[in-house]
Amino acid sequence: MVVGDVTTGTEVLVIGAGPGGYVAAIRAAQEGLDTTLVEKDAYGGACLNRGCIPSKAPITGSGLAHEAGNAEFMGVHADPAVDMGKMIEWKDGVVDRLTGGVEKLCKANGVNLIEGTASFVGEDTVRVAHGGDGQGSETLSFEHAVVATGSRPIQIPGFEFAEDHVWSSADALDADTVPDRLGIVGGGYIGMELATTYAKLGADVTVVEMLDDILDPYEDDVKRIVRERAAELGVEFNFGEGASEWSEAPDGGYLLHTETEDSEESTYGVDKILVAVGRQPVTDGLDVANAGIETDDRGFIETDDRTRTAVEHIHAVGDVAGDPMLAHAASNEGIVAAEVIAGEPAALDRQAVPAAVFTDPEIGTVGMTEAEAEDAGFDPVVGEMPFNASGRAMTTGHTEGFARIVADEETGFVLGGQIVGPEASELIAEVALAVEMGATLEDVAATVHTHPTLAEAVMEAAENARGQAIHTLNR
Amino acid sequence: MTVEEFKLPDVGEGVAEGELVSWLVAPGDRVEEDQPVAEVETDKALVEVPSSYDGVVEELFAEEGEMVPVGDVIISFRVDEDGEAAAGDDAEAEPEPEPDSPDESAAEPTTEAADAEPDTPAGRTFAPPSARRLARELGVDVAAVDGSGPGGRVTEADVRAHAEGDAGAADAGGPDDGPEPRPAPTPTDTGSDGRKSAVSKRGADDGSADAPATPAGGPDPAGRETTLATPATRKAARDRDVDIDDVPTDQTRDGEAFVTAEAVNAYADALESPASTPEPEPVETGPGTEPAVTAGDASETSAPASGDETVPYRGVRRTIGKQMERSKFTAPHVTHHDTAEVDALVEAREELKPKAEAEGVKLTYMPFVMKAIVAGLKEYPYLNSELREDDEEIVLKSEYNVGIAVATDAGLMVPGVENVDEKGLFELADAVNDRASRARERKLKPAEMQGGTFSITNFGAIGGEYATPIINYPETAILGLGAIEERPVVRDHADVESEFLDDSDDSTVVPAPTLPLSLSIDHRVVDGAVAAEFANTVMEHLENPLLLLNE
Ligand SMILES: Cc1cc2nc3c(=O)[nH]c(=O)nc-3n(C[C@H](O)[C@H](O)[C@H](O)COP(=O)(O)OP(=O)(O)OC[C@H]3O[C@@H](n4cnc5c(N)ncnc54)[C@H](O)[C@@H]3O)c2cc1C
Repeated sequence: MVVGDVTTGTEVLVIGAGPGGYVAAIRAAQEGLDTTLVEKDAYGGACLNRGCIPSKAPITGSGLAHEAGNAEFMGVHADPAVDMGKMIEWKDGVVDRLTGGVEKLCKANGVNLIEGTASFVGEDTVRVAHGGDGQGSETLSFEHAVVATGSRPIQIPGFEFAEDHVWSSADALDADTVPDRLGIVGGGYIGMELATTYAKLGADVTVVEMLDDILDPYEDDVKRIVRERAAELGVEFNFGEGASEWSEAPDGGYLLHTETEDSEESTYGVDKILVAVGRQPVTDGLDVANAGIETDDRGFIETDDRTRTAVEHIHAVGDVAGDPMLAHAASNEGIVAAEVIAGEPAALDRQAVPAAVFTDPEIGTVGMTEAEAEDAGFDPVVGEMPFNASGRAMTTGHTEGFARIVADEETGFVLGGQIVGPEASELIAEVALAVEMGATLEDVAATVHTHPTLAEAVMEAAENARGQAIHTLNR
Repeated sequence: MTVEEFKLPDVGEGVAEGELVSWLVAPGDRVEEDQPVAEVETDKALVEVPSSYDGVVEELFAEEGEMVPVGDVIISFRVDEDGEAAAGDDAEAEPEPEPDSPDESAAEPTTEAADAEPDTPAGRTFAPPSARRLARELGVDVAAVDGSGPGGRVTEADVRAHAEGDAGAADAGGPDDGPEPRPAPTPTDTGSDGRKSAVSKRGADDGSADAPATPAGGPDPAGRETTLATPATRKAARDRDVDIDDVPTDQTRDGEAFVTAEAVNAYADALESPASTPEPEPVETGPGTEPAVTAGDASETSAPASGDETVPYRGVRRTIGKQMERSKFTAPHVTHHDTAEVDALVEAREELKPKAEAEGVKLTYMPFVMKAIVAGLKEYPYLNSELREDDEEIVLKSEYNVGIAVATDAGLMVPGVENVDEKGLFELADAVNDRASRARERKLKPAEMQGGTFSITNFGAIGGEYATPIINYPETAILGLGAIEERPVVRDHADVESEFLDDSDDSTVVPAPTLPLSLSIDHRVVDGAVAAEFANTVMEHLENPLLLLNE
């Protein structure tokens, strides 16, 4: 591409190279469409650079150190020391490999890459401003566009991000020292994953949450297991409190001030404050209004079941298009967008998007809970298998939690599952397949599972729902 | 007693249909689970299909010679009650409440379910993503499709049936509408429409030369000389006024046709049925009969002149045809010819032969050639590659899996020998012999004919010098070997000991063993120069077999 203000054309323009955008671009190119991908920052988006991947590296590192140091019961004695600098370096290496891979894949598939910030000029043109002074800009016309500009952490008043003491999740994933005391505002999944990580790395972690429990969207018995385990790791919870401000403390640290609904105030002494209260769509500067697109009151772009916005030839995918704001949902939407543009019979007809929380223990969920199934008009039947009845779980030393499967009583169709326990993020994939395929409890129960594995718990839960479990008492 | 349908199972990876070559059972036969019931020829192999039921064959729903899609019902069995549990695929998903369960809530929802609406709530349709996509493609509302799967799960077939119109009318392909309706052709019309059997045309390679290939249960008299049968069967034949030598059968004992009582009865039933008065037997019966072109045979192509024989273009023959067509019309072929002088190779093999024999290995030239090819491929990796045009990429293979073209009675097969670079000469010899003999016996597994990266065709074994081999697509090159024979070659004086030479000649013509090579390449991937260079490397290794030590 040429520097300067020249107009070039492309069939498909994708804005943002996160898991929504780069996947859309690659699939569009595979479909034989002339495709251009614009990214202003780094290939891979939030997921690869500041989210999914960089958070899992320290979760594993801290988990490993903690586990090694707490395995006397199996005769392992160790006192691991963690070199944070090294751990971050390792994480950065992983990120570099992955983001480099994304760039290579795009090129190998024939996607034109442009670095710069895109903003709509009209319904079929954008201007791309290249980074840096005097780099110029170019105008691109397109036949179809896919907006995949993602999201960023929400800032709350009084807590502007400042790397030295008010952290966003991205800062928390880049810190090369562990603060003695870490205050976390927000007990959602990002806050809880980082609370667990830092607790295992030796920080005194205090979580302040406005609601009266962590992990709002999950069921009570799921939350409880994670909350109790976090408390065991030393995480202190303060529910019903909102962060109001911070101040410097005489000891060189900071004071985190909170307030309840009834204006009861508390203060907590901390060294760093992590604010993880949710994410908001990135649409500012994009000037979607110039293309005739409106955003809703939270800034999200509304789309239909073919990922089309109100302007039919412009699609939106990923976080910017709203819930569930997960990387795999973004990719799924990206593929659908590209295929719809290519004229294929694709649509967003997924039955469920699985979700995982990488706390200790992990949570994996997909589809409906029992209550949701009831609300939807099903007659749900539920089966469960506690991990303390699983031989494999016992031999890993992690027996907290359970696998639960929810099905329609009459037809046996699997509607959803909730797993909390070791490797729940992996185990949920089987339930997701069952939900998506329209499998029945019998299908899952009659599928032979490897012994001894954690995955047997899913089969047992299905058996349990049918009143035929072997290793648990049937309900 | 219940009746179970047996569908043509998956007979090989990626195989969608097969030709029902012969029935191994007839209506009335008692069959045990795992007993072979039919021989089916697919694109890739001849396979025996084992029964998944214990029971008595009630009806056969396909005729010999017919192409049957995988999943179509081919047999119905009468199954004893006790045998049913093992096989039932229509067992209800509904679990029985534990009789002595202390928890009464287990029983309670069942009553509720009884009066619950069968429609799934909240517009949720139970169908896999593939079926949902197909529905969109065909413009079908999935929610409106009657599912035939457990609990009403919608399959791709259901979507298709729905799209083809009134869902009820389109169930010829299978039991789409739940357990009750079953395609029920009358048993007597089996095999009576004069369609001819493909297997009988292949005749010679069929072990039981005399066994008639007409469908068991059909009314065509078999007309054997002798037949094996138990006294009870013979009595049954007498009782039903049937000549036991006329009863068709596929079973043999000690090489003789063997007839069961059930076959006798089926045959007698068929004879008695008015719908199937024996028709003049078409082509098979011999040159004297009129060429019967029945409705089933009528085709748009020119009618065969009397005496012409039509042979079905199916199974392996058709697969070979398709494969050749694809290769030749996709890859622009160029064939490069050269000749290797293989005195040293002949000597090397002679020296190694006794050693090989001692180890029970039959050492041909093939292993040497394979090794020489690997040497060449390592230097010119593009000849060991695959062009994936759709992906716009050429894949340079990391493995050296060499396919060997083998002529069999059924046609050309190309089994592969994997990782030639990692195998020794004797090991290769063994592998080649094993693949070739199993190819001739048609005992190759489909997987053994896949994954090749380069092929050899040794037409010289039959005779000839040069050919223009067709690439085993999607490979990029194939090397054809002519016969190793003494041919005139020009040699340097110094290299030839002969009293007839006089000092004025620089060179002379002498007889020497040579190996003519025909290398075809896909010109899209490599150019002629590279082919020639590759051939030079291969020849270098064949002419100096010591170099092969390096491979
Ligand atoms: C700490 C953390 C942990 C997480 N863990 C998980 C997890 O375990 N599993 C999971 O599924 N999800 C996780 N997520 C969420 C996940 O990262 C997002 O759902 C995902 O990245 C959304 O992808 P996207 O393509 O919509 O947007 P993004 O990944 O945000 O990418 C958008 C891209 O667009 C670019 N861009 C924006 N505006 C413009 C413009 N005008 N011009 C050009 N480029 C532009 C941005 O620079 C960015 O690269 C996590 C997030 C965080 C913060």
